[in-house]
Amino acid sequence: MSLDYAKNDWYAVADIFCLKDGPRQTRLLGTDLTVTGPADTATVTDAEGNRYPAQLRFDHVWTTLGDAPRTLFEIPQGDEPGRRRVPCGVVRVRCSPLRAVENFLDIAHFPFVHTDILGSEPQTEVRPYNVEIRDETDEVWATQVKFFQPQAARSAGDGIITEYDYRVPAPTTAVLYKTCPPKPEAQDVIAIFVQPVSETECDVWPWMALYDDESTFSEMVQFQHEIFVQDRSILENQRPVKLPLDPRMEIPMRADLTSVAYRRWLKKHGAFYGALTEDA
Amino acid sequence: MTAFTLYNYVLSGNCYKIRLMASLLGLDYETIAVNFYPGFEHRSDAMLALNPAGTLPVLTAGDTVLTDTQAMLGWLALNHDPSRQWYPAADPLLGPEVLQWLAFSGRLTNSAGLARLHAMLNWPVDGEAARRAAVRDLRELELILTDRVFEGRTWLVGDRPTIADIACFPYVALSPDAGLEHDGYPAIRNWLYAVRSLPGFTTMPGIHELHELREPADG
Amino acid sequence: MPSMPVGLTRDLPAGRVMHAEVDEVDVVVWRAANGEIAAWNNRCPHRGMALSHGFVRGNSLACLYHGWHYERSGRCSYIPAHPDLEPPATIHATKYAIAEEGGVIWVAIDGDASGSENDLDPLRSMIVDASEETLLTAASATALGGGLPDAGPEGQFSFGADVVRLLCNALGDDRTQVTVLASPALPVPRRRALSRWCEAMRRLAEKGGAS
Repeated sequence: MSLDYAKNDWYAVADIFCLKDGPRQTRLLGTDLTVTGPADTATVTDAEGNRYPAQLRFDHVWTTLGDAPRTLFEIPQGDEPGRRRVPCGVVRVRCSPLRAVENFLDIAHFPFVHTDILGSEPQTEVRPYNVEIRDETDEVWATQVKFFQPQAARSAGDGIITEYDYRVPAPTTAVLYKTCPPKPEAQDVIAIFVQPVSETECDVWPWMALYDDESTFSEMVQFQHEIFVQDRSILENQRPVKLPLDPRMEIPMRADLTSVAYRRWLKKHGAFYGALTEDA
Repeated sequence: MTAFTLYNYVLSGNCYKIRLMASLLGLDYETIAVNFYPGFEHRSDAMLALNPAGTLPVLTAGDTVLTDTQAMLGWLALNHDPSRQWYPAADPLLGPEVLQWLAFSGRLTNSAGLARLHAMLNWPVDGEAARRAAVRDLRELELILTDRVFEGRTWLVGDRPTIADIACFPYVALSPDAGLEHDGYPAIRNWLYAVRSLPGFTTMPGIHELHELREPADG
Repeated sequence: MPSMPVGLTRDLPAGRVMHAEVDEVDVVVWRAANGEIAAWNNRCPHRGMALSHGFVRGNSLACLYHGWHYERSGRCSYIPAHPDLEPPATIHATKYAIAEEGGVIWVAIDGDASGSENDLDPLRSMIVDASEETLLTAASATALGGGLPDAGPEGQFSFGADVVRLLCNALGDDRTQVTVLASPALPVPRRRALSRWCEAMRRLAEKGGAS
């Protein structure tokens, strides 16, 4: 039952780097797969030799196991000239893919988990922001999220108030659009493409499309690695492992409106892979 | 004028040993980010020309090029520690003890460090064998640190922290990244806390700040 | 259920936090600045984060994830994301009974906690990948200085005048946390030797028991 919804989504299973030296053996939704490059004409097969569709989008190879896959979402900023696109490789985390997404949507943890980078005590307050589920695209959006950050990006100098929009276009993808210090009229885009290995384990592919003419590619990747691996030790220590969709199990505050909307959205769509619910 | 240049990867425990020691000594240094992962840049022709072993970190200072982490810790202590306490190299008893722990730290890199690379970045190694070796190493460290408790001592060598403690600290502190928790190692837990409480201590991802040492936000 | 030994007083100074497991329940044990210890269910009710990764400020335990502070009563007293909010009384940690006696910390999931009386000193706490039965059998078959111990009741082993006592807390079918006590005021070399006897006992127990 929990696979019914999940199998008709697209998932990142490789990036443009990892196929250069040979195929990638991986697992998606409990199914072992082989991804063979080159990335722009990649093939995806399982142990029985069945082939699955593959497309190269946002510097990653995406595949789906379903017979009636939904359309893969767009991130138009990825194609804007002048932006640097940064696929960051993959980090394995022993957690529910849904917990990984929910952590990405959360800002109240910045002073405690990303101390002196994305937040610092005593500036811990999360002021009200807007959350909606946009009917036309059926996506969860949080807008006008503001937080004071000592080191918001590699391109930031001193601390700044950062503004965020968050977007969940699919159960295991989260995108954030944040203040871009060198180009204030634009937004930097940072996303995680979460590949569910199983309900309790995932491979997370961080990706960015930003304006930064100063930093080296390595510096940008490392900044993202630093942030994400700081979250990893939280993610591996949350219980229950699967994300509870019953609101009585875990107590949200006003700062958690995005996660509340996300859990409600999952419940409404029956997207139960990685979730704990009576209905799964 | 910075003290040295460090070819660095933020998630590398070995690179962190140097970042940590420099922070404890209050040193300024230049960092060059090397795309260890996913780019495997440490094996590029340019990096191999600098370090034929193809490893990180690499430390350069003037004409000096060091490619072994233990050697770098020795260099930092001998060149930038006027107190001569971080590496008592001239002490006939303490000096060799430090060398023995530096060797042990190399074993930790290949056990707990490798188990972590396997668990986190899918390194193509035998993760189970690395974990078993890590448990052996953690138990050995727990035994010696328990001796230290009996002796009323905190640090691995002598009565002060030395590069022996700094060399062994990262992969022990990070072993939970590979699912190796510290529940069975109370002496290790106390020693980790002592290292994290040192003035000038700095963290890396997977090792959290001691928030208890900060000013309380509110009641 | 009876109280279980989860660790040594000396291994939990004021301001420190540790993880324990009792009757298959995940527990956080922590000591406030005023010296008082507490044992709670190891789960922050906010987003399920393990409280054993948290930090002590004064007489409160804060969760590492979002910094929610919990007073000794278990009540959440402060939520950093909403500094002016009085947290509802419904937000609280689940408490268990705890006792501290003779340098050992005891936790009970149901009912009261109490220590066991003894005039021994704590030696060390360790985890053995074997059942209690297997490790006690191994202990009786592990020599110290050439001689096997005389096995007494309740996990007590004697080497001449020196006594070692093994207090067991089952963590699973083949995993046991052992709190080791020994005769008081032993010289340091003797304590080191007994500690190594524990290692030898563990090696034998993990090989599958006494041969």
